[in-house]
Amino acid sequence: MFFKKKLSWLPILALFIFACGESSDEQLFDSSLLEKRSQEETEKVIEAFMLAEDNSTIEIPEGFFEINTQLILDSKTNVQIKGAGMKKTVLSFRNLKTGGEGVKIVGNNISIEDLTIEDAPGDGIKAQHSDGIVFRQINVTWTHGDKSKNGTYAIYPVQCKNVLIDGCVASHSKDAGIYVGQSENIIVKNSLAFGNVAGIEIENCDNAEVFDNVTRNNAGGILVFNLPGLPKSDGRKTKIYNNQIIENNHENFATPLGEDPNGNTVTMIPPGSGIILLAAKEVEIYGNEILRNKTVGVAIASYQITGFPSEAPNWSPFTSNIYIHDNSYDRSKGFPDLSRELGQLISVYNAHGKAKTQDIVYDGIWDESISEDIGSNPMNICIAEASGDDFHFTRFHLMDGEDNIEAFSDLSTFSNCSYPIATDITSVPN
Amino acid sequence: MNQSKSHLAAFLSVIFCILFSISCKKNQDQTTTPPQSITEEADGSYPYKLLSTYAFFEGKISQLSPAGSLTYYEPASSLFTDYASKSRFIQVPSGKKIQMQKGNLTFPIGTILIKNFFYPKQKEDPNGEKQIIETRLLIFGEKGWEAWPYIWNEEQTEAYLKVVGGQQEITITNPQGKEQVINYIIPNKNQCKTCHNQDEVLSPIGVQVKHLNHDSQGKNQLISWSEKGILEGFASPTDYPALINYEDENQGLELRAMAYLDINCSHCHRAEGPASTSGLFLTYDERDPMKLGINKTPVAAGVGAGSHTFDVVPGKPDESILIHRMNSTAVGVAMPELGRTTIHHEGVELIREWVRSLR
Repeated sequence: MFFKKKLSWLPILALFIFACGESSDEQLFDSSLLEKRSQEETEKVIEAFMLAEDNSTIEIPEGFFEINTQLILDSKTNVQIKGAGMKKTVLSFRNLKTGGEGVKIVGNNISIEDLTIEDAPGDGIKAQHSDGIVFRQINVTWTHGDKSKNGTYAIYPVQCKNVLIDGCVASHSKDAGIYVGQSENIIVKNSLAFGNVAGIEIENCDNAEVFDNVTRNNAGGILVFNLPGLPKSDGRKTKIYNNQIIENNHENFATPLGEDPNGNTVTMIPPGSGIILLAAKEVEIYGNEILRNKTVGVAIASYQITGFPSEAPNWSPFTSNIYIHDNSYDRSKGFPDLSRELGQLISVYNAHGKAKTQDIVYDGIWDESISEDIGSNPMNICIAEASGDDFHFTRFHLMDGEDNIEAFSDLSTFSNCSYPIATDITSVPN
Repeated sequence: MNQSKSHLAAFLSVIFCILFSISCKKNQDQTTTPPQSITEEADGSYPYKLLSTYAFFEGKISQLSPAGSLTYYEPASSLFTDYASKSRFIQVPSGKKIQMQKGNLTFPIGTILIKNFFYPKQKEDPNGEKQIIETRLLIFGEKGWEAWPYIWNEEQTEAYLKVVGGQQEITITNPQGKEQVINYIIPNKNQCKTCHNQDEVLSPIGVQVKHLNHDSQGKNQLISWSEKGILEGFASPTDYPALINYEDENQGLELRAMAYLDINCSHCHRAEGPASTSGLFLTYDERDPMKLGINKTPVAAGVGAGSHTFDVVPGKPDESILIHRMNSTAVGVAMPELGRTTIHHEGVELIREWVRSLR
C-alpha cells in the first residue's frame, strides 16, 4: 500500500482514539412487543412464497413471524408482497441455520412493501436478475446487539434492472445498508440508513439517482464504487443530490474491533466519511447537506489506494468525470479517524494542518497514459463549491511512494470545469 | 398452436403410460403400507402428496428397490451433503428418449429425477438397512423442471411432500469414526433452485454429460442408457468431457481439486449461476487465475472473508477465503450456503493441498 510502513506507529495512537469510537444500537421500534405468530401461521407465509402465481398478491398479516427457512419468490411476474406496515409485520430470521439471505426475489415487476425483516444471518433481502423491483417502506435491521455478527447487506438488489428503493430504512448491516450492485436504472429515495458500516452504496451500476435520503451515523454515508473482476465490469452515471449526509462517525465494525481490514473494500472505510468515490465514473454530487462527518465530506479515490491488484478487463481503477457542486459542509465534529489508512492519510498529511477535518480530498492518482501532468486535470474532476477560503480541500500526491507524500490545497486545477450527468430513470417503476 | 396441441397430446399420452404402469403396483402398496390419513390416486397431476403414489420402488418402499421404469445413475463426483448417502434414479416416460445434441441433454416431458438421502443404520454395513431422510424429485413438465421435496416418516413407510422443507437431528458415525450429531436441514422447494439454477432456469446438476460420462457398474453409464433405450445421440464417450471422481487418489491433484470444486461449488459459481455476482468461477475447465479467485478480493463476502484479503492465496491455504469458508459451519460464513451443516474434512484437505501446490 502507499503509506503502510510510514504510518506504522499510528495504530498505537489509534488505540486511544478507539475509546471514543461511536456505536449505535438504535431501533426503529420494539418488535418484541408484537404478537408472536404460530408455526402454522408462519408456514402459511412460507408456502405463499413457494406457491405464488404470477399476477398475485402475497399478504402477510400483522405479527412477529419467526421463520427458520429462506423465503424465496422464484421467477414470478407481477407479484406484490405486502405486510401490514413496517412496524406491524416482522419477519425474523434469527433462527435461520442455512442460506445466504432471509428473503430472496427473482422475477419481473415485483414489489415488497410495508414490513420489517430482522436478523438474517447473511443478507436481509436480496433481489437478483429481476427487471422492475420495488422496495417500498420496508425496514431491514439486526437487533441482537453484537454488531460483529450482523449480516452483510440489508437491502440488496444485484444484477437487476429498473430498481426503486423508496421510503425504506436499513440499519446495522456489517457492510452497506442499502446496496445496489451490478444493476442499471436505479432510484434510491426518501430512505434512511443508520448504524451501518456504509449507509448507501452504488457498486458497478449504470444510471442511478440517489436523492432525498438521510444517511446518518454510519461509518461512511454514501459510496459509489467500481470493483474489478465482476461480470458487470465498470459502472457509470450516478447522481447524488438533496441528501442529508450527517454525522457518519460510527466505528467501522466490518471487521472486529482492533482487527485489520480484510479483502472486503468496505473494511477500509474510515469512520467519519460523508461520500466516498472509488474507481467511480461519471458522478454528479450536488445540493447535499454533508455535515459533521469527522474525517472527510467527500473523498475521491482511485482503486490503487486499496493496495489491491488494480488490473481487470474492461475496467479502470481511476475515478473520472466527477462533478461536485453546491453542497453544504460542516467540519465541526472534531478529529479525523486514525483507525483506517485513508483516515491516517487525511489526518496526518492533509494540506490544512494535522488532525483537521477535510471537506473534499482527492487522492490525486491519475492515468499517466492520458497526461504526464495532473495540472491538465486528466481525470476531469470538477469541483464548484461556494465556500471560499474556509473550504478545506486537499489533493494528495501519492505516486512517488510512501516517503514522498505531498498535499496541496489549491483547488484551481479542478474548479474550471463542469460535468453535468444526464441519467435516464424513466423506466424505473414509480 | 399446432405445436402446443401436439405437446399436450404427448403430455397426455405420457401421463396415460404412467397411469397404467402405476395403477397395478399401487394396489400392492396399499395392502402393505396404507398411507396415513391421505389417500390419493396416481392421476398424473404432479406433484403427488405421497411419494408412494409414484410407485418408484418395488416391495417395501424403504428398501428403495427400483421399479423397472427407473434407471440408476451416479455422477462421477458427489456433492457433499453432511455425509449423507444418496441413491439416484431417472424415470423417462415409456417409449420416450432423452436427446443428446452438442453435448446437451434434452428431456421428454414427464421425466423424473429421484434422489434419496439416507444414512446407513449400522456403520459396519453401509449397504444394509437405511434411515432415509428425504427424497427430492425433479420433474420435467411443460414449464420446465420443478423441484419437490418429500420427507420420510420415522416408520420409514412413506414420505410426504413438504414444500416448506424441514429439520431433523441425526446422529451418525463420520468417516473419522466419531459419533456426530447433525442438524440435517431439508431445503424448501424454492431453495432447490439456489443450486439448481442456470440463468434462473431450474436445471439438473448431476444429470449433465460431464458428470455421467464414466463407468458405473462396469460400463459407461451413457452407453448403458443408450442400450436401455432412454438416450439417443450419444456416440462415443471420448467425444465428450468427463469429470473424474475427486476421491480417486490415482488421479492428479489438480484434476481432483477441480472435480471437487465443480460438483460442490460451480452450480452457483459460474457465469450462468447465482453467484456470478462474485466473479469467482469454479467450473472444472476455468483457467483464468482471477476467476479462480487467485489474488482476487471478495465482493459481498461480509463476515465470510474472515481476516483474509484474497479468495485464494497461492501456497497459503490458511490465508485463503476459499478454505476459510469451506472449513466453517457458521451461517453467513459456510460455503456452500445450503446442504451443509458439518465440515467436509476430506474435501477441505483436498482443496488445502491444491492451494498449497499453487505458485
